[in-house]
Amino acid sequence: MSFLVNPYSYATGCDADAVAFLAAAGITDATITSAICTLVISMKANGTWAKMNAIYPMVGGTATTHKFNLKNPADTNAAFRLTFVGGWTHSANGALPNGTNTYANTFFNSLTNAIQNSHHLSYYSRTNVNLIQAEIGNQILPVQNLLQIRTSNLSYYIINQNASYANAADTDSRAFYIANRTSSNVVNGWKNGVKVATSTTVSNGRPNLNIYIGAYNNNSVSSAYSTKQCAFASIGTGMTDGEAAALYTAVQAMQTTLSRQV
Amino acid sequence: MQVHQLTYEEAQSLVGVQFMPDNYFNPIMDADGNWIISIEEVEQCSIDWVKELPLLNYNPA
Repeated sequence: MSFLVNPYSYATGCDADAVAFLAAAGITDATITSAICTLVISMKANGTWAKMNAIYPMVGGTATTHKFNLKNPADTNAAFRLTFVGGWTHSANGALPNGTNTYANTFFNSLTNAIQNSHHLSYYSRTNVNLIQAEIGNQILPVQNLLQIRTSNLSYYIINQNASYANAADTDSRAFYIANRTSSNVVNGWKNGVKVATSTTVSNGRPNLNIYIGAYNNNSVSSAYSTKQCAFASIGTGMTDGEAAALYTAVQAMQTTLSRQV
Repeated sequence: MQVHQLTYEEAQSLVGVQFMPDNYFNPIMDADGNWIISIEEVEQCSIDWVKELPLLNYNPA
C-alpha cells in the first residue's frame, strides 16, 4: 500500500488548496491560516467546494491579500482574481466599498463561465444600511444577475432572469446572503442559512459581462455602488438546500475564528 | 458627502494608476459634469498633486 501526500499540507495539517491560497496571498498569520484551512476542509466535506468557481474570503487586510480567489489563487484574470477599483478601504474585517466609485472586477463572464439554470452568488455583509445598492452582479437587460441587499427594506435574489424577483423583507443587512438558482424555474434567497425567498421565474439567459463586487456591472458601467463591507463572496453553480445551509455554517465559522462575525 | 475634484486631463492621467498596491483610481463624472475621485483614494495615495486636489460636495450622477 502506498500513500500520495502533499508534503507541505502533510507538514502543516492543512488542506493543499488552502496552503496554495495562503502562499499566493503571502499570509502567515496563524489565526487566518487556521480559519482558511478549516473553511476549505469544511467546504470539501459538505460538498460546496465542488460548486465554486470563485471564493473570495477577504482575509489579510490589504487589496493584495483580498484579491485572490481561494479556488484558484493564480494572479491572473483567467483565475478570476479581483481587480479593485475606486476608494475601497481594506482591513482585517474585509473590503469596505465607499458607495461612490468602488467595485471589484471578478473577470467572471456570466455568458462564458456560468450555467444558466445552476448558478449562485453570495456576499457576507458586515454593514447595516437601507439604501439602493447592489452588492454583486451584472445585467444586460432583459437579463439580470444580482444580489441587492436591503434596498427599501427588501433584499433581492436574482439569477439569470428579469422581473418577478425573489425578495424578502429585510431590516438588518448584516448577514451572509446567497442568491441560488437550482433549475430553470427555481431561485431561492438565503440569509444566514435560512431560505427566506423563492421565485419560479424562468431563466432567460446569461449576461455577456463580467460580474462586479461592491456594485453591479450594468452593461459595462459600474452602478448602484454599495457601502456594505464584504467579508466573503462567492460565485458558482447552484447548491442544494442542504449545501446552502452548510455553506453558511462554514463561512460563519471562519468569520468567528477571525473575530469578525455578524 | 465630499469628494475631490479634478480636471478631465487629470482624471485621464489617473486611469489605470494604482493609489495603493492592487487598488486602482476610478475617476468618475458627477451629475454636474465634474470629474471627481473619492476621499478614500486621496487619503491612501502618495501622489503629491493628488493630495492637493480641491474638495467638492458630491452630487451623484
